[in-house]
Amino acid sequence: MSKNRENKYFGEFGGQYVAESLMNTLEELERAFDEAISDPNFINEYMYYLKEYVGRETPLYYAKRLSEKYGATIYLKREDLNHTGAHKINNVIGQILLAKRMGKTKIIAETGAGQHGVATATGAALFNMECTIYMGTEDIERQKLNVFRMQMLGATVSPVKTGSATLKDATNEAIRTWAERAEDTFYVLGSAVGPYPYPKIVKEFQRIISTETKRQILEKEGKLPDAVVACVGGGSNSIGMFADFIDEKDVDLIGVEAGGLGIETGKHASAMALGQVGVLHGMKTYLLQDDDGNIQLAHSISAGLDYPGVGPEHAYLRDTKRATYVSITDKECMDALMELCRLEGIIPAIESAHAMAYVFKMAQNEYKGKIIVMCLSGRGDKDVDTVAKYMNGEETNK
Amino acid sequence: MNRIDEKMRVLKDTGKKAFITYTTAGLPDMETTEKIMFAQEEAGIDVMEIGVPFSDPVADGPVIQDASYEAILNGATLEKIFELMKNVRSKGLKTPVVFMMYYNTVYHYGLEQFVKQCVACGVDGVIIPDLPYEEQSELQSYIEKTKDATILLQLISPVSKDRIPELVKDAKGFVYCISQMGVTGGTADFHKNIREYLTHVKEVSPVPVMMGFGIKTPKDIESVRDIIDGAIVGSHFIKLLRSSNYSMDVVKKYIKEFKETM
Repeated sequence: MSKNRENKYFGEFGGQYVAESLMNTLEELERAFDEAISDPNFINEYMYYLKEYVGRETPLYYAKRLSEKYGATIYLKREDLNHTGAHKINNVIGQILLAKRMGKTKIIAETGAGQHGVATATGAALFNMECTIYMGTEDIERQKLNVFRMQMLGATVSPVKTGSATLKDATNEAIRTWAERAEDTFYVLGSAVGPYPYPKIVKEFQRIISTETKRQILEKEGKLPDAVVACVGGGSNSIGMFADFIDEKDVDLIGVEAGGLGIETGKHASAMALGQVGVLHGMKTYLLQDDDGNIQLAHSISAGLDYPGVGPEHAYLRDTKRATYVSITDKECMDALMELCRLEGIIPAIESAHAMAYVFKMAQNEYKGKIIVMCLSGRGDKDVDTVAKYMNGEETNK
Repeated sequence: MNRIDEKMRVLKDTGKKAFITYTTAGLPDMETTEKIMFAQEEAGIDVMEIGVPFSDPVADGPVIQDASYEAILNGATLEKIFELMKNVRSKGLKTPVVFMMYYNTVYHYGLEQFVKQCVACGVDGVIIPDLPYEEQSELQSYIEKTKDATILLQLISPVSKDRIPELVKDAKGFVYCISQMGVTGGTADFHKNIREYLTHVKEVSPVPVMMGFGIKTPKDIESVRDIIDGAIVGSHFIKLLRSSNYSMDVVKKYIKEFKETM
């Protein structure tokens, strides 16, 4: 049994709060991952698929019109241009290659907005794995197009009706299934959450975002950016965007959570806003919870940020003040989304538009004239229905 | 002496096996839970597991998930369940009671305060399925500091394998062997190496070995009866309560019959 509990933590956050039946599975996973990540053959294969299949590297695009209007030098890391339309595929390729290496034949995953589900279904088709995606019925309703995509790719979409019927409940169901079938089934976790080593695995497979960004910004500007910004649900695109900048102390790291209707209304998805620590989905981290310690429903117009917790490393970066976390409301986000459409001809995912909205605030204030790099984590095609409803003044979520 | 230890001693002396049932507190309300507890004691149950409902019960199947959800909607909270415990103990309930709950509920309540309240309210043991051995030290440190404290019971799974000796080394009360992979409420389709696994646990465990998950009738445990010291029934017991509209006669009859056949 592993004695070094501390190295499974980020400060006081993280750990392995799972059923006894999964403890050997996690140890097997950690061992396999550590071996893979230091094996040049594995890395070469991963990089091959990222280049030839995903289409990396993605551009670091200088948003000229936004920069002129808002007063800072704004760069967008175009993860929306990846195959399947978001950063999620980076991690999926890595985890499925790892699953194959471990001899697993089936994969399962949870999904909120459907982006991770589509990416996983895509990877499953590519690598010939049997695939089941757990998705809350509330999200299935909000993201019909992605549900159909997953089915086209040959995955089974298993509707989850329990609890709030969103991402947290889909994650519960994936964990239950995994606990039952870990022998032949690999759980492809999509966000930087879950029991250790998942937060580490997701970070390493998303690190490519910041590795490329750092090289690109040095080529274009000859120096590092003043700030790096990304949206945070569970925190996968943001941890990937932060990874190679964490040790660059002059670069400010800013995570943008979903403020829903406003923190003061209680209807939001900003796990860090209230600073309550708890245990969910195998990790100790900041969580939205009520007075009795039950997990509270998150609220956001964005299905991908609609999660009551946050990855443990983000909790640690917040506490050590290395990164700052802020929130953006549904309205601010939708205004920014339209702005990006009209000024740059880019329809972003609603998730990414949260980061955009905060970049506009920064550019007009303390970062005026400075260099801001933002992770444009996904494209907005999947959200067109939600945007239409929002613009017609209809209810976009419950 | 902790009520669980006392009960285990009596069972051992009389050569009997333990029968343990699970009910979700507050299903359908606290008054009924109290009645169920006394009916169980009357019928001769050895240990009662009381489920403290949580919003995200990842170790549970549909029956207990629904029971938890309903109990929460009906206002069941840890504080109220402690009150229930105080109440039943003051009315003379003697049977050992074990809380089955998730770690966030304990953590949110405060570890020190939780351990104190367990002692004050007569909670003899705690089972926390999402708190594996490696994560227990924080809670154990408070338990160790407290006189006559509640016992943190150890769960063991069919794939624990080389972990088993370490898990049971300092085990108190009894150990809870899960019969199969996955969540509560399945069928009696036990793990393929069930006998080998239970025998291993039995050989190294300093305390009695109970088995749960997927058990409905005494017939279900026939194949392992010679190894284990007792059986735990959860989801099936909740189904029985619901389908009989919480008939105390049905509760008593089920427990008596199970105990006699064992």
